Amino acid sequence: MSDTLTTATAAPKTGRAVRHRGIHRTHWGATGILILGALYCVLPALWVFIASTKSPGELFTTFSFWPSFTGGLQGNVDGLLAFGDQAFLRWALNTLLYAGLGSVLTVIISASAGYALAKYRFTGRELLFRIILAGVLVPQVTLAIPQYLLLAKVGLTGTYWSVLLPSLISPFSIYLCRIYAMAAIPDELLEAGRIDGAGESRLFRSVALPLMLPGLITVLLLQFVAIWNNFLLPFIMLSDSDKYPLTVGLYALLNQGASQPALYTLVITGAMLSILPLIALFLLLQRYWRLDLLSGGLKG
Amino acid sequence: MHRRLASTMVGALIVTTALAACTSSNDGDTPSDGDSTPAGGTTGEQVDLQFWTWTTNIEDVIAIWNDEHPDIQVTVDRQAQGDELITRVLTAAQAGNEPCLVHTEYQALPVLVANGVVADITADFAGIRDAFPDGAWGLTSFGDQVFAIPQDIAPMMLFYREDLFAQYGLEVPTTWDEFAALAAEVRQKAEPDQYLTTFSSGDPGWFAGLSQQAGAEWWTSEGEAWRVGINDEATTALADYWGNLVSQGLIDDQPMYTPEWNAAMNDGTLLAWPTAVWGAGVLEGVAPDTAGLWRAVPMPQWSAGENVTGYWGGSGTAITADCEYREQAVEFVTWLNTSPEALEALVTISGVYPAATAGQTGPALEQPPVMLPNQPDFYTQASEIAGTARGFTWGPNVNVAYNTYRDAFQAAIEGGTPFSGAINTMQDTTVADLQTQGYEVID
Amino acid sequence: MSETKTDAAQELAPPRLRGGRRPRARHARSAPYWFMLPAMALFTGFLLVPIIYATWLSLRASRRTGGGILGQRIETFVGLENYSRALSHPELYASLGRMLVYGLLVVPAMLGLALLFALMLDLPRVRMRSATRIGIFLPYAVPGVIASLLWGFLYLPRVSPIRRTFDAVGLAPPDFFGPTSIFFSVANIAVWGGVGFNMIVMYTALRAIPTELYDAARIDGCNDWQVAWRIKIPLLQPALVMTGIFSMIATLQVFTEPQTLSPLTNVISSSWMPLQKIYTDAFVLNDIYSAAATSIALAGVSLILSLIVLTVMQRRAFGENK
Repeated sequence: MSDTLTTATAAPKTGRAVRHRGIHRTHWGATGILILGALYCVLPALWVFIASTKSPGELFTTFSFWPSFTGGLQGNVDGLLAFGDQAFLRWALNTLLYAGLGSVLTVIISASAGYALAKYRFTGRELLFRIILAGVLVPQVTLAIPQYLLLAKVGLTGTYWSVLLPSLISPFSIYLCRIYAMAAIPDELLEAGRIDGAGESRLFRSVALPLMLPGLITVLLLQFVAIWNNFLLPFIMLSDSDKYPLTVGLYALLNQGASQPALYTLVITGAMLSILPLIALFLLLQRYWRLDLLSGGLKG
Repeated sequence: MHRRLASTMVGALIVTTALAACTSSNDGDTPSDGDSTPAGGTTGEQVDLQFWTWTTNIEDVIAIWNDEHPDIQVTVDRQAQGDELITRVLTAAQAGNEPCLVHTEYQALPVLVANGVVADITADFAGIRDAFPDGAWGLTSFGDQVFAIPQDIAPMMLFYREDLFAQYGLEVPTTWDEFAALAAEVRQKAEPDQYLTTFSSGDPGWFAGLSQQAGAEWWTSEGEAWRVGINDEATTALADYWGNLVSQGLIDDQPMYTPEWNAAMNDGTLLAWPTAVWGAGVLEGVAPDTAGLWRAVPMPQWSAGENVTGYWGGSGTAITADCEYREQAVEFVTWLNTSPEALEALVTISGVYPAATAGQTGPALEQPPVMLPNQPDFYTQASEIAGTARGFTWGPNVNVAYNTYRDAFQAAIEGGTPFSGAINTMQDTTVADLQTQGYEVID
Repeated sequence: MSETKTDAAQELAPPRLRGGRRPRARHARSAPYWFMLPAMALFTGFLLVPIIYATWLSLRASRRTGGGILGQRIETFVGLENYSRALSHPELYASLGRMLVYGLLVVPAMLGLALLFALMLDLPRVRMRSATRIGIFLPYAVPGVIASLLWGFLYLPRVSPIRRTFDAVGLAPPDFFGPTSIFFSVANIAVWGGVGFNMIVMYTALRAIPTELYDAARIDGCNDWQVAWRIKIPLLQPALVMTGIFSMIATLQVFTEPQTLSPLTNVISSSWMPLQKIYTDAFVLNDIYSAAATSIALAGVSLILSLIVLTVMQRRAFGENK
């Protein structure tokens, strides 16, 4: 690879001449590496799509990477949608509810907290921030049963809120909002607003939020994906399979008991159908994935 | 102004809490869901019983009951199965949320009893004792106390590929010695990757059933103390039998119920499967293309001429101690597990092999299972085999023993160490756990 | 709120430079707390209180008292017994050792690959940038359980296309479930899932580097390699540190991948990684008390480790130096 690099630049020292000549020559080394990387990442996911075209008999007998054209896909999709009285559709709608509503609420809460942490100096600010960040250190497995028992005392287990509420606390989102608020909102603007007599909440709504919007959309998307793919929390909290999100529903299909075989074809088909919306989300909203927030305000 | 901000925040909190309250009452998810609030709003009009179970399609079976009994409605909640369901029941009981009816595997029942979750129903079900064979009834009682009604039993039998046996000129084994010789023969005559069967480190219930056939008693109670005999003679001999076969490469060592195992069952890599009567249902899901190629026979015996087998799992229905509608629950459970129409429905709709004697010979069982059209008298044979089955008493910490089984046998297989070592590990861990929990253990 | 009337009065009064500062200070003093309230309320309710409850649980256990052969189980106070049993179990330390090995595989591989792809994307004259970027990001859409299951299918010999490909070429296929190769197999799933996200983080940081720096370097005769090494990577330090920290935290909490693969093979026990042991205690052995004790102990270790790392890296990571 270094050969390619040096040959490409083994020209006279004038930078401009090199670039003009090079514009029509593809950097095959780098392109090759990227293509290999993309193949590594895409092929296993592609397997899911191919495997979902196979009927139960074919899944374990035919070559994995050759799709089946004998109507297996239709059969699987039908079987999946019919399973448990259209359970799959319910799961999909539940996931949409948890991820959609959850991400919107998280953004509101995190923007509010991030703004406060970024733009105000108050006692305990750094301590609070560190405590919030320390929250990511506690694994969900540890919190699961205590959270369940506590929610049971207020009668909220098994409800939609039992999955929504714990999802709303996202130290990562607060961190991102703080970084973005620091970078995007000039102090002078807030001062000017205060001099004009605006109240704090008015400042937040009219000045801070619009400026933070691009970052907030990124936080929204990140949290949407995180809640969509969350498994352990709804697994613990929910007992009624009507409220399951897709992850837990598909897992339940896998674990039907010693005397029931795992419904692999249904799980694979379900997985395929549940990945599709996220892929669409990525493709359509590419320009909103402003993850430069994460590099810690480098642009400042 | 921060005052408005404050009021917005407080308002949001109030709305959230109010919505939570609305949601809980609308969804009917208040504690002891469905157990206390009659639908009609007036007491005594209609009773709602919640039933946590995992049996396939049991909703359709229960629909029959619900149609005939508008005053006692049973709702199925299918949230987990086996051990996972036990954990959820225990956690729910701690929170006061448990249902009225619980589907429990036999080995998990002691855990529920010890935690005070299920009710002593000896008196309620005295009348139906005779509907069940002795072996089955013993699975849900401790001493003279009954804590659940058996729903299904799973006597073990041997399924083998008739076509492949014919192809390689193999004889069906009737004793375990013949089985070992057959395993060697398969390795000689068949393809290099074919085995007679596999030893699974992931299925302790399977091994427990084999131990039962060998005459083991893993837990015995003496007065108020327990004696643990996992490493008794019978089990140790059994473990070493399989250990020798695995270490000599005569038997495969992959776990069951994996995609790998599914593929092996499909393409004939494994020629036989010691399993239970519900194995036909599993094969239908796992290897549907091999229908008609299998045959089921009684398990090989330890001595020629014997006729014993063990159980692989099986489950029953229990009523929780805090159930407010004990009478109605008793009525339902009696119907589900002894009435001819329920038993027939369980067989045809759920694919379950009933524990009740009447259920093993009904009209529903005149047709062989889908996977064995070549064996029309399958269920008659199964009924005979069921009569020879024996279980053993389950102690208070079966889950500990089962978990240790998985880890210990995995390690033995990977490390090439004797299986009797794994059995000793199981024994030591189980005894230590019983003692930690406060039980008296005698040697 | 007693300040209400004063605030209103201040709003209506004409702004005074000197006096104006004090009412602003009074607004500002409580405003941030109100902004923080929902987050702190949720944090307290769903993180702090459960942690405290878990700590309380870790000091108790379910013990049998009299009452028949199966006894009655009562929750009693047992002091530090759960801790002593958990911490004296050799399996816990074995799992910590495995976690270390796993971490040493995952973190460099994931960050190294992410850095490599990001640098490649940032080079000029590279084709198919958009397609490969989306492709590498794709695994982020796949939830952990499904990813582990699908890699399980790719690892198991009989159903694996990898094995068939090797067979076709005539080579012996690798055994993904061997006692050492299992670490690579599990690490691979984590790397596959996370490389895209980390790549995007680094790539967006790279895009923010002013191009004048490159021009200056080119004029000085640096080739692409030297530009990458001398300019890009040093300027990427915050991004590298951030992704490094999150990767390490993810390593401390590895659970889904080994747990999903465990039934498929004989090399992953129920306590292969620390969090699996906690899960097994809580959900299989019905002993949330031991699980709580192990969790608190592990969380303590994680916290200390993270505090050390964070304090050392703080200035670089959080960009707080203005």
